[in-house]
Amino acid sequence: MKDIWTSIRRTPYQSLSAFLILFFTLFLTLILFVSLTFLYGTLNYLETKPQVTVYFQTKAPETQIFKVRDELMSSGKVLNIKYISKNDAFNIYKQLNKDNPLLLEMVSANILPPSLEIYAKKPIFLPEIAEYLKKQGDIDEVQYEKDIIDKLLVLTNTIRMSALIFFSYLILMSIIVLTTMILFKIALKESEITLLKLIGATNFYIRKPYILESLFLGITASTLSFGIFSFIVLYFNPFLQSYFKGITALSVDVFNYPLVIWPLNYVFFAIVFVSISLFGVVIASVASYIATNKYLKV
Amino acid sequence: MADGRWACGNRKITMITFDKVTKKFPLGNIALSDISFEIDDNQFVFLVGQSGAGKTSILKMITQEIKPTSGSIIVDDFDLTDKNFSQKIDLRRKIGIIFQDFKVLVDKNVFENVAVSLKVIDADQSEIKAKVKKALELVGLSKKELVFPVQLSAGELQRVAIARAVIGDRDIIIADEPTGNLDPKTSWDIMKIFKKLEGKRTIIIATHNTDIVNSFQKRVLVLKDGKIIKDQRKGGYEL
Repeated sequence: MKDIWTSIRRTPYQSLSAFLILFFTLFLTLILFVSLTFLYGTLNYLETKPQVTVYFQTKAPETQIFKVRDELMSSGKVLNIKYISKNDAFNIYKQLNKDNPLLLEMVSANILPPSLEIYAKKPIFLPEIAEYLKKQGDIDEVQYEKDIIDKLLVLTNTIRMSALIFFSYLILMSIIVLTTMILFKIALKESEITLLKLIGATNFYIRKPYILESLFLGITASTLSFGIFSFIVLYFNPFLQSYFKGITALSVDVFNYPLVIWPLNYVFFAIVFVSISLFGVVIASVASYIATNKYLKV
Repeated sequence: MADGRWACGNRKITMITFDKVTKKFPLGNIALSDISFEIDDNQFVFLVGQSGAGKTSILKMITQEIKPTSGSIIVDDFDLTDKNFSQKIDLRRKIGIIFQDFKVLVDKNVFENVAVSLKVIDADQSEIKAKVKKALELVGLSKKELVFPVQLSAGELQRVAIARAVIGDRDIIIADEPTGNLDPKTSWDIMKIFKKLEGKRTIIIATHNTDIVNSFQKRVLVLKDGKIIKDQRKGGYEL
């Protein structure tokens, strides 16, 4: 620790530059990472919402409707199915038209069709479910918002691809810039490195102080960026609460484990901190490794 | 490893062997041309010759900073020209190097500058402390161990470099123009330190200093245009 501090003190401007590059890279990464996590969470939430509504003919017996429901449930592609009987439909109708007695007088439960509201596990299953339903007997109509689902699928894939490209770009750029900064720093010690090589120092012995300093800067920068980011998120928490009003929970899959990201919680924050620290440590280590390589060929 | 030559009592007599060594640089200039010589263990040797004669090339080949174009080099038991040679670090830990421009670490004090030679071989703290003190006594800098290079004279800086080179039981001491940046009196003071090491290490000094070479009466290898033109057992400076 003393050696790291001495090195920073002796080359303060280079150290500060490296720190600022790391800080801004990590802060930007953090904003993107959390934003994308929320976007994924929202998409996951929306993906569970798409539904097919199938209206049966009024004469369709309940046994037929239940048979269709059970077959769909056993397909593994359906999250939930809600059965709306004629009476349920009539109650909904009454609720919707309670201010219009004339409309209420004209309709009875017998003329309203029973229906199933089917929630698919993924939007990609919806066309398949709709096709299956159309082939069943006693079906009056199958409804699902094909365009919206298609757009949602395209949007999801585009965001996933864009995030991958953007993160790759961010990692590459930060490593290049950081390597250049560390190179400036190491260039001042070229003669020392050459001497160390000539008296029998291993590459690890020479690299160690630079890698340790980079790790120190990486951890400090990630901690500071996380601290500032957390403060901003907590400050805007009331706004977020009104924005996500009605959504009880958002989650993303992390190695098949559903991580709850909304409401904000300690586990999510801890995972974000560990991830950003690891990211900072990895790019700082890789950059210092590449930078020292240049001077180790004596 | 190569087979070293050994005398009775298990003491090796040949420390360095150059056999028909040639070094051509990529642009075609020839630094060394088919040179052969042997240096015994604990021998004191001067390399003399005009600038560009090939003195530094020989030293750099011993430390594996450059490799020969052809020929064979054996240092201690290491065959440096073996295609599979991978013990550069072990080789360099046997060699102490002294440069004309001292190459001391400006941000480290005298003690730390000397200690670095032991730190690179992972010596423990107590060993470092004891050996650095001994080395600083040898070069007459015992009272300046906490002083930084900026406060030292050129002669003192070279003493630091010598202490760094001799510490850690390095078998071979290589000095490239060790007195090149020093006034005559300081040069003699520095050479007195080498005199103290005589017979204890293999010492190779590349120099232009006529007086020193003549007064020491040690083995002299005279180089000209990349060739050894004289090899005198007790020679003087003659070009």
